[in-house]
Amino acid sequence: MKKVHPIVAIVFAGVSTVAVAGGDHGKNVYANFPVTVKNYTGDKKTSESYSGQIARHALHNSLKKLAGKGNGEANPELEAQIMAYLEGKESGRAIINPKTKGKFVVKQTTIDEISKKKNLLGKTYKGSIQGWPGNMTGPEVLKFMAKKASAANGGYDPLTGYDYVQLISKFTMGAVFYNQAVDNYLDEGLSAEKKPNNKPYKEGAAYTGKEHVWDEAFGYFGTPAHTLKLTAKDVYNITKQKEEAFDKADLNHDGVVDLKTEMAFAHAYYAAGFDKGGKTDYLHTITQAFYDGRKLIKKANGKKLSDKQRTKLQGYAATIAKNWEKVIAEAVFKYAGSTYKDLQKLKATVESNGDASAIFRKYSKHWGELKGFSLALQTGQKNLGETAVKLNRLVGFSPVLLGNTQISGIDSDGSYTQKSSISIEEYMLHMLKVQKLMVDDFNVKARSNDALSGLGDLAKKLGSGKSAEND
Amino acid sequence: MFEIVFDYWSDVTTSFWDPKKRVFVGYLFSAFFVALLWLVCIKQEKLFASIKSIFSKRVWFSKSSKTDYKVFFINKLLLLLISPFLIAQLALATIIFYGLYDAFPSRPIVLEKSPAWAVVTLFTVGYFLLDDFARFYVHRLMHCWPLLWSFHKVHHTAETLTPMTVFRTHPVESVIFSLRSTVVQAVAISGFIFFMGDRADLLTVLGVNAFVFGFNLIGSNLRHSHIGIYYWRPVEKIFVSPAQHQIHHSLDKRHWNKNYGVVLAVWDWLFGSHHHSEKDKCLVFGLDSKDKDAAHSLRGVYIAPFYESFTVLKKYSVAISKKIAGFYKGLPGLQWATKD
Repeated sequence: MKKVHPIVAIVFAGVSTVAVAGGDHGKNVYANFPVTVKNYTGDKKTSESYSGQIARHALHNSLKKLAGKGNGEANPELEAQIMAYLEGKESGRAIINPKTKGKFVVKQTTIDEISKKKNLLGKTYKGSIQGWPGNMTGPEVLKFMAKKASAANGGYDPLTGYDYVQLISKFTMGAVFYNQAVDNYLDEGLSAEKKPNNKPYKEGAAYTGKEHVWDEAFGYFGTPAHTLKLTAKDVYNITKQKEEAFDKADLNHDGVVDLKTEMAFAHAYYAAGFDKGGKTDYLHTITQAFYDGRKLIKKANGKKLSDKQRTKLQGYAATIAKNWEKVIAEAVFKYAGSTYKDLQKLKATVESNGDASAIFRKYSKHWGELKGFSLALQTGQKNLGETAVKLNRLVGFSPVLLGNTQISGIDSDGSYTQKSSISIEEYMLHMLKVQKLMVDDFNVKARSNDALSGLGDLAKKLGSGKSAEND
Repeated sequence: MFEIVFDYWSDVTTSFWDPKKRVFVGYLFSAFFVALLWLVCIKQEKLFASIKSIFSKRVWFSKSSKTDYKVFFINKLLLLLISPFLIAQLALATIIFYGLYDAFPSRPIVLEKSPAWAVVTLFTVGYFLLDDFARFYVHRLMHCWPLLWSFHKVHHTAETLTPMTVFRTHPVESVIFSLRSTVVQAVAISGFIFFMGDRADLLTVLGVNAFVFGFNLIGSNLRHSHIGIYYWRPVEKIFVSPAQHQIHHSLDKRHWNKNYGVVLAVWDWLFGSHHHSEKDKCLVFGLDSKDKDAAHSLRGVYIAPFYESFTVLKKYSVAISKKIAGFYKGLPGLQWATKD
C-alpha cells in the first residue's frame, strides 16, 4: 500500500474539517445559532426555535384537506374534526398533510411531534374583515367558513360559487401567518420594551426575547432553514413533495424530511412559485433578510439591542414585510388573471348553450383563491385604505353568478343573501382592474396569468418605437 | 457610467445586426445587389463600373455624408438619454385598452370563427397600413408646418444621399417620430387585442414584420442613394420607388413637397402630392442655401433649427396677439384697452 506523505495528510485533514464545519449546517443556513441567554443552565446548544409556527403550518395544510371532505349534507362529525384543527389544542391530532409520499418520507406523523397545544384560531387576526359579508372578525370568518365547508360537497357550494377549501386556506395564510409575522413579531415585537434581548423569552428558555420574536416570524414564512442553498424551483418542488426534491430537502441526510426545518409551506411556496419564472427573487430576498437579522441578534450576544442595532433590524423587517406583501399581491394578480380566463370560457360556453358546470367549478376555485389572497393582503402591517376599498369592490363578496347576481350579505340565521349585480363581461373588466391595481399599488413583477399579456407579446414583436430614423 | 457606455455601444452595433433596423447588414447587402442588377441589367453598364458607381467616393465621403455619420453616433447617444422619458407603447396600449372597455363594456370579440392565419394577416396588414399612413402624414406635417420644417430641414440639407442619411435627423424630430410610432403601435395593439383577443398576432420573417422585411429586402436603402431606380408608372402609383423618394430630396422647385410616402404611394396620390419619377433625370439634392457648409456643421444640424423655430414662434405669437387685440377691439366698451 502506498504511503501518504504527512504534509498531504495534514492538508487533507484540514480541508475535511473545513468542509464539515462549513457544510450542510454552515453559512447561510437558518440553524445552529448559539445560546446567548446569560446564565442559561439548560442543555440546549442552539437557540433558534420556531416549532410552534411549523405546527400551525401542518394544522393549516391538514385543515385544507379536511375542508374538502364534506358530502353536501350537514356533517357535525366533520365539523368537529375541522374545528379540532382550527380551534382545538388536543393531543393526538394526526398530520393529514404533508404525509409521506413515495420516496418523499416525512419524519413527523402527528402535530404533537412538532409542537404541543397549538391551534390556528388563537393566532388569527382579530380585526374586522371588510371584504367578507357579515361584518365579522378574522376568527369569526374562519369559523363561519369552516362550518359551511363541512356541509358542502367537497368544500364547494355551486349555488354561491364558494370554494371553501381555497377560501379557508388562503385567508388563513393571511390572517394567521402573514398577520402574526409582519403585524406582530416584526412590528411591535421589535420595540425596545417588548421582549428585550437581555432576558430569556420566558423563564428557563434557551433563547432571548428578540431571538424568539425573530424566529417566530421566520417560522411563519414557512421556508426550509437551508433555503439560501436552494433554488426557487427546489423549494417549490419540496412543497409539491416531488421525489427528485427529496435530497434537496433532506439537509442532514437522515433519510427523512423534518417538517420543523426542511419543509416548505404556504407563503414560501408561493414566493418560490413566482420566482421560478425568473422575474423576481422574493424567496431569497426575504430569507436573506431573516438570516441577516438573526445574525445581528446573535452578535448582540444576549445584551440589550442598541438603538442602532434595532434600527438595522427594523430595516431587515421592512424588507421582509415589503416583499411578503408583494408575494400576496402577485397571488392576487395571478388569480384575477385565472378568473378572467375562466369568465371568458364561461361566457363562450353560455353563449353556445353548452354545459357550463365544469368551467363554473374552475371559475369558483380560482375566485376562491383570488378572494382568499385579497383578504390576506388586507391583514398586514399597514391599513391599505383606498386600495382595500377598491379591491373589495372589484372582487365583490362572491363571484358573479350566471344570473348576474352576487352574494350581498348574511342574514340572521347565517344564510347568504343575493342581489342582482353586474354582467359577466363587466366582471371581466373588474378582474383586469384588479390586476392593474396590483401593478399600480404594489408594483408586482412576476405577473403570472397576465390577462393583458397579449398586449405585451405583440408590443415585443413590433419592437420599440424609439427610433432616430427619418423616412 | 459603464452601463451607459455599454448600452450606447450595443445600440450602435444593433443598428447593423438587428433585422428590425433599416441599415441591418442583410438589407444593405440586398440593396447592393439590387443596385448592381439595376445598373448591369437595366442600365447596361459594365460590372466594375457599376460597383465603382455604387461605392462612389464622391458620394460616400462627401462633406454631407460625413455629417450623416457624425449625426448617427451623436443621435444614438442623445436618444439613449431621452428615451427613458418617452412613454412606452405598452403603457399607452394599456390605457387605450381600458378606454375601449369603458366604451364597449361587452367587449365584442370579432372573427372568432375565422382561421388563425386570417386574423394574423388582418393584424399584419392593418398595422402596416396604419403605420405607413402615419409616417406619410407626419412627414407631410413636417413640410407644411413652418415650426416642424425648421427641424425637418436638417434631413433635407443632405446633398449626397447614402443609406446613413436616414439618421440625419434633428433630435426634436426623433422624439416626434418616436411618439408617432408609439401611438400607432399602441392603437393597433390595443384595438386588435380588444376586438380579436389574443389571436391577434404579427406575421414575421426573422422576427420582423413581414411587410417591413420585404420592403427592406427589395432595397429600401436605395431611397437614400444616387441610384435612381424607378418602377413602371402604374406601380409607382401604388409603391414609392427609390427614384420617387430622390425626387422628394430634389432641389428643383417642381419637386418640392412631393412624395412624402414611405412604402405606399397611394397616400400621396390621395393627398395630391404624388409625383412620378423622371427617367434618367440628374437630380441635385439639398436646399437652396447661401451657406451650404454651415448646414453640414454640427452647429447647423443641432443648434440652428432652434434659432429658426424661435423665429417662427415669434411670428406665431405676433400673429396671435394681433388677433387677440383685434378681438378685444371689436368688443363694445373695450376700445380703451387696445392701442393702434
